Amino acid sequence: MIPQLIAEAAATAGGITGSFTLAIAGAAAAIGIGMIGGKAVEAVGRNPNASGKVLTLSIIGMALAEAIAIYALILAFQGR
Amino acid sequence: MPFSIILASALTLDAPTIFPSSQGEPFLEWLSNSVFVSVCVAAFIIWFARQATKNMTVVPGPTQNFFEAVVQGLYDLIESIVGAHMVARVFSLLATLFIFILVSNWFALLPGVGSVGWGQAGEYGFNVTAPLLRPTTADMNMTLAMAAVFMCFWLYWSITEVGVKNFLNHIFGVKGGLTGIMALALIPVFLFVGIIEVVSMAFRPMSLSLRLFGNVFAGETLLSTMITLGKDLKLPAPIDSILSVTIPIPFYFLEILVGLLQATVFMLLCSVYIQLSTSHDEEAGH
Repeated sequence: MIPQLIAEAAATAGGITGSFTLAIAGAAAAIGIGMIGGKAVEAVGRNPNASGKVLTLSIIGMALAEAIAIYALILAFQGR
Repeated sequence: MPFSIILASALTLDAPTIFPSSQGEPFLEWLSNSVFVSVCVAAFIIWFARQATKNMTVVPGPTQNFFEAVVQGLYDLIESIVGAHMVARVFSLLATLFIFILVSNWFALLPGVGSVGWGQAGEYGFNVTAPLLRPTTADMNMTLAMAAVFMCFWLYWSITEVGVKNFLNHIFGVKGGLTGIMALALIPVFLFVGIIEVVSMAFRPMSLSLRLFGNVFAGETLLSTMITLGKDLKLPAPIDSILSVTIPIPFYFLEILVGLLQATVFMLLCSVYIQLSTSHDEEAGH
């Protein structure tokens, strides 16, 4: 309910359209992936020969974070 | 799983058949363009595998060498996650999933996929509504089927590996090595934790399939919007045709990376799920 209220309020006020769920989810996922990437680079900087393991773990972490944005993307395709 | 049926039906699931009804009675109703492409991809992989392993020599030829490198690399990666004991049982399904998703993702980037088919004249010239070839993973049925098959195997492997009692203990049992009155007191709490665990396990096939489907589907729409960008910006004719060729090039590299990444992620997550539920009771040690 609340996203619909925000959407209508924003649309009437400033004519802003588009999917709010995707905007919020995309921003949150981007921040999450950025943090994971940053920490992964730090970890490899601290211990270069563990880069293989760090790469695998960071890929899994980023994929899980990105999945949230994909759920919102699919909802956005249905006009929510 | 019922949740996935509700959500899956909400998406555009009806991949158009290759012979749409406008050509009279549809010839093969179930043969949708994604199914057709998945058959082509499977045939290509099988042909390449047989080609590489026809006359295996000690000093491998080029195709055999490449094939061995791929299999060896996947084997080591999965072994590092799932452990030496489980990898023999698990490797065949996970490697097949990886190779099939990777080849079908990259197959989708070939010219002609998604741009040749039935349609009607639109403002961009011929507007293809029912493409003849369409990437397999751009169709929710395929990704959901793969995730469901994996979950069945995961259940079978977990139960045969650690036994039903341990399996349920993994989920509902009192963890942290508590004994005596404390354990008794915390049983309801851990029961509730077990329910949440079951819900998250039920959602795994959904998240696996939605992630793969979403990424490939978004990539497909990204490429099509990039190609028609010149016309959207109402640029004069020569410029927008140049733009419609040059702009998508970096996004094709992005799609190649995303295709590889999503295939690796699907396999990694599957092996992590297996490792989570089949790790023997070492955790009581440390």
